[in-house]
Amino acid sequence: MHFVQAFLNGLLVGGVYALIASGMALIFGVMRLVNFAHGAFLMLGTYLSYYGWVLLGLNPYLFFPLWGVVLFVFAVGIYRVLVRRVMGANDFLQILLTEGISLALVGLAQLVFGADYRQINLPIANRITGFGSLHFSVGYILSFAVSLLLVIALTQFLARTEMGRAIRAVAQNRTVAPLMGIRVERVSAITFGLGIACAGIAGALLLPIFWTNPTVGAPYTLKSFVIVVLGGMGSVQGAALGGLLLGVAEQFTAYTWADRYAEVVNFVIFLLVLLFRPQGLFGGKA
Amino acid sequence: MRRFVLALAVVALAGCQQSKPGRIGVITALTGSQQAFGQAHDRGYEIALEEINAAGGVLGKPLEIVKYDDQSKADIAAQGVAKLVDQDKVSALIGSYSSESTKAIVPLVARRGVPLLMPTATADNVLDNTQGWSFRLCSGATDYANSMVSFWRDAGMPKSVAIVYENTNFGQANGAAMKKAATDAHIPIATEESYTAKSPSYTAMLEKVKEKNPDAIYFASYLLDATSLMHQSRQVDLNPRYFTAAGTGFSTPEFPTADKGAGKDAEYTFSVTQWMPESKWPGSAEFAKKFQAKYGSVPAYHAVQAYTALKVMAEAVKKAGKWDATAIRDALKAIDLPETTFGPVKFDARGQNLHPVLVTQVQKGQYQIVHPKTEATADPILPTPKWSGR
Repeated sequence: MHFVQAFLNGLLVGGVYALIASGMALIFGVMRLVNFAHGAFLMLGTYLSYYGWVLLGLNPYLFFPLWGVVLFVFAVGIYRVLVRRVMGANDFLQILLTEGISLALVGLAQLVFGADYRQINLPIANRITGFGSLHFSVGYILSFAVSLLLVIALTQFLARTEMGRAIRAVAQNRTVAPLMGIRVERVSAITFGLGIACAGIAGALLLPIFWTNPTVGAPYTLKSFVIVVLGGMGSVQGAALGGLLLGVAEQFTAYTWADRYAEVVNFVIFLLVLLFRPQGLFGGKA
Repeated sequence: MRRFVLALAVVALAGCQQSKPGRIGVITALTGSQQAFGQAHDRGYEIALEEINAAGGVLGKPLEIVKYDDQSKADIAAQGVAKLVDQDKVSALIGSYSSESTKAIVPLVARRGVPLLMPTATADNVLDNTQGWSFRLCSGATDYANSMVSFWRDAGMPKSVAIVYENTNFGQANGAAMKKAATDAHIPIATEESYTAKSPSYTAMLEKVKEKNPDAIYFASYLLDATSLMHQSRQVDLNPRYFTAAGTGFSTPEFPTADKGAGKDAEYTFSVTQWMPESKWPGSAEFAKKFQAKYGSVPAYHAVQAYTALKVMAEAVKKAGKWDATAIRDALKAIDLPETTFGPVKFDARGQNLHPVLVTQVQKGQYQIVHPKTEATADPILPTPKWSGR
């Protein structure tokens, strides 16, 4: 029974991971950009939802689309001013740039918000529900449900809309896409914005069940790398499944071994996948 | 060539160990995960400084403290020793907040020959390798565990205890101390669990604890993890007879509040503590009142430890009669202050102040002293009601 509980708790935590990693997979798949600033944008999402709640009384579970839009616009701006310049440049420059953006955002957050930890007290997030001997926090269930819906919406958007097709076209071939009348610059900006919005919304959804401070994002950048590799580099569906898998792996580690080894297990999985199945656990497109 | 000479001059200057009179260095966690405790420290220091200078300062001059923020990180704390001693020329040091940071600076002050007073580090290994330069004002992990066992002796021995601790020096030391104290008292250890304070969910760990069905749980946690642990104990419906803790997160004024702590889920938890505004030591109530007027909240014991530490250090300088590190250390060794706000202060041969420990319980959102009987402000509420019945 406890195994069932650990498994389900893992899925609940993994739902948010899936959303974060989907954003990173999208950016990597389409732009071939390794985004070291992913966690920093997630952190911005937590602060948006923190101040939204504390100053304006906006419930994160209702207003997360607003925070997503704010981050989308911000990210498109960052793309136009900075990221655009390293598109197609070598990996090293891209890593330096995104890591630089990350340092700048975290440093600014420390200046503006202070380095102390913050949490909000959202009564619904602290409520417990369950059946039989299984118990769940309503906050985790809400964060999971919203995350999963967004990931599904994202895959549907990519599969069915005109813009989605354009994004996939750019992912397949950056050189040929413009010959087919696709505005690669615009598609890239929108892709970056969408990927960052995923991270930001995940941050907004994490806040009611967690806490925040300017460095809260760093572990999620690392987790996203692991998940993106698990799911097959650049595949959004793969990243979503990888996120759920990592959540379950963490909870099982804590349950069967010790909480403090959860990160060790993460990176062992990461290394094993790279060694034996570099195309990712779920096939994944090249 | 000119650059070389300049570099040499810088090195030569840095080598000068001449301290500036009138300065005490303070290292604490003003930012980072332990910011709540660092802030309590800071406020305690400020009140003490005000009082000392209002009473004419030290050796005829106003006292000056130089603060250094270790960002709740041990490596940054270690850099602070060099900064305060070499650049700011302080004659004595107080700090840091956490056991992890304090452990990092103890060997460094010994190497530089500067006395260190440790206000809050409870891990007992901070007293290793002090070479006579470090002194500890607070009680340690062993005292915490023994006091909790002594409370259990009065209130009913648990049939088993689960020990759950955060995985740094503070948690490890307190976990180990409870393991020893419980074993000595013939209480079976149901399980031992350690966790990293940044995990998003402790439910799997708490499920595991629940499976062992312990009669008591002893946590060693900071504030954010204490909050999550209690919320998630409710989630997994973990119902021991006693929720107990090694102070720290479980004994801050924030912990029973809904905005910054566990709110209602903090109710009935027991914790050891080093001081309460209701303590019978002289000046306790006055300090609490002054703190409340100035900062609008009840002081945690960490504030009074910082307050007393600065007072004790100022007293030692007065006894030494000069701003000289070695003389101040010798004065600390000999100091005997029977009536401070933090109780009597006198250091043993290891540099440990013998300080009594209290046990509190959160009742209706307030901390009440429930042990020892001579200090008690309320009877303990036992057994802890089940989550379903709250």
